[in-house]
Amino acid sequence: MIRTSLVGALLLIPGALAAQDNTAELLDRAARFHADLDVERELVLLRQVISPNSPFIVTHEQRVFAYKYLGAALVVLGQVDSGVVYFRAALERDPFVDLEPQKFTPAELAAFATAKRLTFGLGARQVTPATIDPRTERVNFTVLSTHAATLQVEVRAAGAPAGVVVFSGENDGPRELQWDGLMANGHLAESGRYELFVLGVSRLTQRTDSARAYFSIQQDYPALEDTLPALGAADLLPEQHPPSAARAELFKGLGLGAAALVISGALANGDLEGGSGKLAAGVAITASAVGIAGFIHGRRHREIPANVAINAQRQAARASANAAVVQRNKERLAQARLVIAPAAGVGP
Amino acid sequence: MKILAFIWLAVPALLQGQLGVQGSFYVGQADHRVRDAGVLVPASGAVFGGALTANVGPRFTIAAEGMSGHFTAASGASLDDHDIAQLQLIGGMKVRPWLTVQAGPLWRNVSNDLARQHWTALRVGGEARVPIGFESVRGVLRGYWMPLVSVSGLSRPDVALAASAGVEWRGRRIGLGTRYVLERYDFPVTAGNSRSEEFAALQAWVSASWSKP
Repeated sequence: MIRTSLVGALLLIPGALAAQDNTAELLDRAARFHADLDVERELVLLRQVISPNSPFIVTHEQRVFAYKYLGAALVVLGQVDSGVVYFRAALERDPFVDLEPQKFTPAELAAFATAKRLTFGLGARQVTPATIDPRTERVNFTVLSTHAATLQVEVRAAGAPAGVVVFSGENDGPRELQWDGLMANGHLAESGRYELFVLGVSRLTQRTDSARAYFSIQQDYPALEDTLPALGAADLLPEQHPPSAARAELFKGLGLGAAALVISGALANGDLEGGSGKLAAGVAITASAVGIAGFIHGRRHREIPANVAINAQRQAARASANAAVVQRNKERLAQARLVIAPAAGVGP
Repeated sequence: MKILAFIWLAVPALLQGQLGVQGSFYVGQADHRVRDAGVLVPASGAVFGGALTANVGPRFTIAAEGMSGHFTAASGASLDDHDIAQLQLIGGMKVRPWLTVQAGPLWRNVSNDLARQHWTALRVGGEARVPIGFESVRGVLRGYWMPLVSVSGLSRPDVALAASAGVEWRGRRIGLGTRYVLERYDFPVTAGNSRSEEFAALQAWVSASWSKP
């Protein structure tokens, strides 16, 4: 069973590939018939291509090609109106379609011109992948209107209501545009998805049409440096004494005074009937007074000026370092190049 | 030998120029009490002294201190009046920001109209300084043991201790302070007689300092 399926699949794959080849081959043969003015045989092949019953896969471009040659063949046969209809069908599918003067007759070209006047379409060609230096190079766009129209062409961040206008005015046919990579705010376009939005009003029919071509921009610049993180509690010294610090000063003063008395009492030799307690009292009183003064001072002045100054120095050093980092990053961003690539839409 | 070792350690810092010098002068009221063969002889008097301290590098100090004073016996007997003059050298090494271990010799001369007594001692101990109340105010505690004491005419004391407690304020150049000092010496019993001595003083001092960064 499995073997049978595999054999079937192997037989079908070349058939599918051949179908695509057959459409291209049919169109190639039709073009050769057209060049030889063998339009009857050409029509048979082209109708086979555009027929819904065609057994072959027909791509969008192949269908546009078929409509173009169908229109031309019908014009050669004298069926100009029918030819114009097929030309319009081709133009509606691809406004960029055109007849090469060296391959088509003046009558065909005239009928195609009529079709373009009757059909209002705008086109925006997909951008070509490129990497540009916006300081010296430009991004190239191609837009088109099938006939005279008032056009406005903008580059927008995908989904944004407005962008930077790269063209505004009268247009007829294809137009090459250049963009310097700057958005309306004067800044280089950020990395992201963008659209080339074409909006136009026909000068002949007053119809409005629009077209979009999506593309992506990636800024390419040397790696940026990280700024220093904000100083945390572990990086800064305490700027105020805790409330208990004042009590500690009091205890230290009293403790030192007690130490003087202990020295005169416990360390002295009792047999000597020492009277140096009065001398020790001098230091005990002084130390206790300093402790009490320190307690009062500590309660009223909890700030630690030395730590405040050190913290200010650290903050200033960090700000200075970060300013240097920001400056270096700016210099690197100023060297950014834009990597342009076509995109499918507003998102991946 | 210890002093030589200290100097040997201090010389490199000295050559690097990290030097601070402090000179101080003090006055005080002192008690000198002696009990010998059961007789207590208390004496007191004013003392005057001065010290020169060099801070060598961030860790080492070396100080020379001289002191003298005349002591009048409380009994009124003029023979018990005496003079004391002493010189001590002491070197220190900071082992913690607040703690310095110290050691050094002391020479003392106790004299009256009839006799002269020479003291030589080696002090070993330490000094602790803790801030009290204000950034420039410190409490200072000192304690010394004197393992080697030689007194002319007397045996080596069994107990030889010294301690002091004080408060000091130090500005950029000037310092002020007060300290209580006590020295205790208990000599061994000889022929049934014991001898004890004690020296206590309350000193007030003023200092000026100079440092080379």
